[in-house]
Amino acid sequence: MNWLRELGRRLNMLLHRRQFDADLEEEMRLHLELRGEQQAESGTEASEASAAARRRFGNPAVLQQKSRSAWGWEWLEDCSQDVNYGLRGMVRSAGISVVALLSLALGIGANTAIFSLMDTVLLKSLPVKEPSQLVLFGNGLDEGISDGFPNRWLYSYPFYREMQKRNHVFSDVAAAFSMVDKVHGLVQGRSEAEPMNVQLVSGTYFPMLGVQPVVGRAISEDDDGTQGGHPVAMVSYTWWTQNLARDRSVLDKKLTIGLTSYSIVGVAPAEFFGTKVGESPDIWIPLSMQKEVPPGFDGYNDNLFESLHLMARLKPGVSNAEATAEANVLYQQILRGFSGVPLNQKTLRELDKTHVELESMATGFSRLRYMFSEPLKILMAVVGLVLLIACANIANLLLARSTARAREFAVRRALGAGRSRLIRQLLTESLMLALMGGALGIAFASVASRVLLRMVDDGRMPLHLNVALDMRLLLFTLMVTLATALLFGTIPAFRATRVQVTDSLKEGRGQAAGSSRGPLAKVLVVLQVALSLVLLVGAGLFVRALMNLRNVETGFNKENVIRLRVDPSSAGYKEDTRLENLYRQIEQRVSALPGVRAASFSGFTFNEGTWNNAIWVQGYPEGHRDIDVHHNAVGDGYFVAMGIPVLAGRTFGAQDSATSPKVGVIGETTARTLFPAGSPIGKHYGRGGPEHAGDIEVIGVVKDVKYNSLDEEQQPGDYLPYSQNVRYLDSFEVRYSGDTGATVAAIRQAIHDVDLTVPVSDVTTLDERVARSISNQRLVAQLLSFFGLLAVFLSCIGIYGLMSYVVSRRTNEIGVRMALGAEPAHVLWLVLRESLWLVAVGTAIGVPVALAAQGLVASMLFGLRPNDAVTLVGGVVVLLLLAAVAGYLPARRASRIDPMISLRYE
Amino acid sequence: MHRDEIPPGTLYLLILKTLARSGELHGYEIAESIQRISNEVLQVEEGSLYPALQRMLIKGWVTAKWGTTAGHRRARYYQLTEAGRKQLAVELSQFERVIGAVARVIEAV
Repeated sequence: MNWLRELGRRLNMLLHRRQFDADLEEEMRLHLELRGEQQAESGTEASEASAAARRRFGNPAVLQQKSRSAWGWEWLEDCSQDVNYGLRGMVRSAGISVVALLSLALGIGANTAIFSLMDTVLLKSLPVKEPSQLVLFGNGLDEGISDGFPNRWLYSYPFYREMQKRNHVFSDVAAAFSMVDKVHGLVQGRSEAEPMNVQLVSGTYFPMLGVQPVVGRAISEDDDGTQGGHPVAMVSYTWWTQNLARDRSVLDKKLTIGLTSYSIVGVAPAEFFGTKVGESPDIWIPLSMQKEVPPGFDGYNDNLFESLHLMARLKPGVSNAEATAEANVLYQQILRGFSGVPLNQKTLRELDKTHVELESMATGFSRLRYMFSEPLKILMAVVGLVLLIACANIANLLLARSTARAREFAVRRALGAGRSRLIRQLLTESLMLALMGGALGIAFASVASRVLLRMVDDGRMPLHLNVALDMRLLLFTLMVTLATALLFGTIPAFRATRVQVTDSLKEGRGQAAGSSRGPLAKVLVVLQVALSLVLLVGAGLFVRALMNLRNVETGFNKENVIRLRVDPSSAGYKEDTRLENLYRQIEQRVSALPGVRAASFSGFTFNEGTWNNAIWVQGYPEGHRDIDVHHNAVGDGYFVAMGIPVLAGRTFGAQDSATSPKVGVIGETTARTLFPAGSPIGKHYGRGGPEHAGDIEVIGVVKDVKYNSLDEEQQPGDYLPYSQNVRYLDSFEVRYSGDTGATVAAIRQAIHDVDLTVPVSDVTTLDERVARSISNQRLVAQLLSFFGLLAVFLSCIGIYGLMSYVVSRRTNEIGVRMALGAEPAHVLWLVLRESLWLVAVGTAIGVPVALAAQGLVASMLFGLRPNDAVTLVGGVVVLLLLAAVAGYLPARRASRIDPMISLRYE
Repeated sequence: MHRDEIPPGTLYLLILKTLARSGELHGYEIAESIQRISNEVLQVEEGSLYPALQRMLIKGWVTAKWGTTAGHRRARYYQLTEAGRKQLAVELSQFERVIGAVARVIEAV
């Protein structure tokens, strides 16, 4: 306990330092006075007395210093002195400090933010029991419902049951619906339905994953036994927190979705977001209830209703290869044994060729991963390079600074500063720089990761990602920058402090310890130039590809269209005439609003998914391949609302009703490929088999549109009136003019006037839909441009710093040259030549690297041919221009040197 | 008159003993007291008293408080603590051991 009391006394002293100093001074002064009086009494002269007293006492300043240092706080004072001095130094050379700090912050921040996102999307394991044992049938990219045969991406419920029953390699098999159902549900005791995402899962889903609920029980096999008999739901932790404030009585609550009331049986743990990365369902309901959950799928007993993702846990000791072999044998057996499947020559031939892959599901699966793994890897590489350039720059800046300070250190040593004290000073300054950069970097990273997340969201599906900053990478980047700062900040310090004091003072600031700086600094600058050229060219490529995308003809007019979702299925509407009447009434009301030109429901708009079927054309030669066509069910005003030009014939009107002959409007590509001869108007086609080829009459041809992305090939499509194809329509488009907010409010009111219970959600504009669909490409182009320009800027600073240093070192020499008659232009060229030489070497290294890098990303560059010369030449020109400016400034200074002054300079 | 420097390491001992004998003293009195009792032989470099006193304060061997001298001046008075008394015993026995050993070496024939 003694040391504790001692520490207390020391701390007390630290807190009362001013008092301490005053006390000590007074005490010593008293001593000196008393001694002086005593001397005077014993007969010494008054003036002599105090001098004698002082002699006997010793040096009060030194003694006070000694007394103070006894308390052990000297290091702290030194340190605060160093920090103070360092700060003043930083403020003095504010330009250099800001550049160094910013490049550090951006380097650290960007790396951390992008890696954190990459980790969440690509690398993190699912928070379930032994995720490495989990496998997925297929790749999980397909979402929706298919009746294609054979299908190895999506599976039917009966298939899942057969696979579960017959296999010997899985400890269990589970299934989840391939899409979440976006419904509106009513929490017991509330008056308004709220939007929620429902994931339908098999009873084996939670037990197979080994996910233990935090409250209540998980959905079990018992809940999935008979169709329609198990109205139970499990809720996510997030939903429980946000909607019920983690109320423990959650298990007593009921949840009404559509016409069914569900008992909440459990709450999933906080870290569990489902099995698909980026898609966090709020509610899990057993697949046995799929018909009751809007929009009411009926696939429980349908062998061909392929809508599920199938996942399984390998038995211990079973390899993926063994499991794949057995799964494929069973796949063939089960499909061939199904009743109602179209087994004919063609499908059997395809079935023979079909092989199901079992992919590891340790990290879950995601469409996001497919979309973003390439861009994220590219960004990661880019910010890594930027960090490298930033480090090179800091190295150069610190080298320049400490070389310039050689003289200052010599002076300080001559005045008695210890070598270790000087090195400590430099260490402190480097550390300060790195730590301040690091702190800024962390702040930057947390902002950047939020911005990144918003940009990743393409607006098609609700995106739920929990991106926390990755501490490992943050630490790593901090270490890299710290190491750089320490290495390049202190190596010159060692060199400078070793220098003989007198030599250095004699030499002055011209040559001191500078000669060894040359090659290292030059290599750093060349490296910077090469890297920044690569980044600049890369940025140019992605920007050009983005511009190509923006100029793509969409086929519709995206301006001035409000798009929203109306959800009658959650309000209990079935797919019948009542639904059709609802849609028609809403369309009429909204169309009558001031400022509204047209309003129409449709199955989808841009980037919301598609409804594909094969169609058959009447009179087309026997044996032709059926063609897959994108269908859309739309209202009468759809083409006006979307601004899709009509090329021939007419569009839908009041004459097309449920009882009139079936009609359709087709796109240009469909017209060209399926009706090559003559006008298609009046011809017939149909879906569901050759026998239906006469069902639908073509009444019009419209311009082709893009369906899911701007870079897709032109696809064949057709439109059917919803009056003849009654179904839930997820999208409502309104062409308007005037204020968006007011129009939205008026539309909501109009819908409420028709039916108060129908929820309205997902309000956006068509323009925004289109913009969101290229958020991925825009993100990459913007970030690359930013980092490319940053890299070039940093390189220019590097060139400028190096050349300024060279000029200051050669001031004498240049002065002599000019005294001997050298022209200023000649001197200018002399210096400029050196920097251009560096840039030329850097470019020569950078060009082949840029070309190679371009090959790697070629598939992501829409509308650009490989080895795009324009961008490469543009990049080189921009770099050369900026580098020339950076080199010109010090060169001009050199050319203006006055020989008289420069010769007197040292 | 020639004055001898005090042997290194014995300054603490001298201060502790002086305080033990006299109770409360300020710095100047401690220096005076050491010289007087040693018959002016032991010369403390007077200033070095103060760093030593600071170290003793840290160790908790002495405490200090401000008071007034006979001549009505403000002075800081030092006083031995219980820990200081113990330390004095330790220093004494150590000193005696060393002196005894030195004596034995120089007296040996």
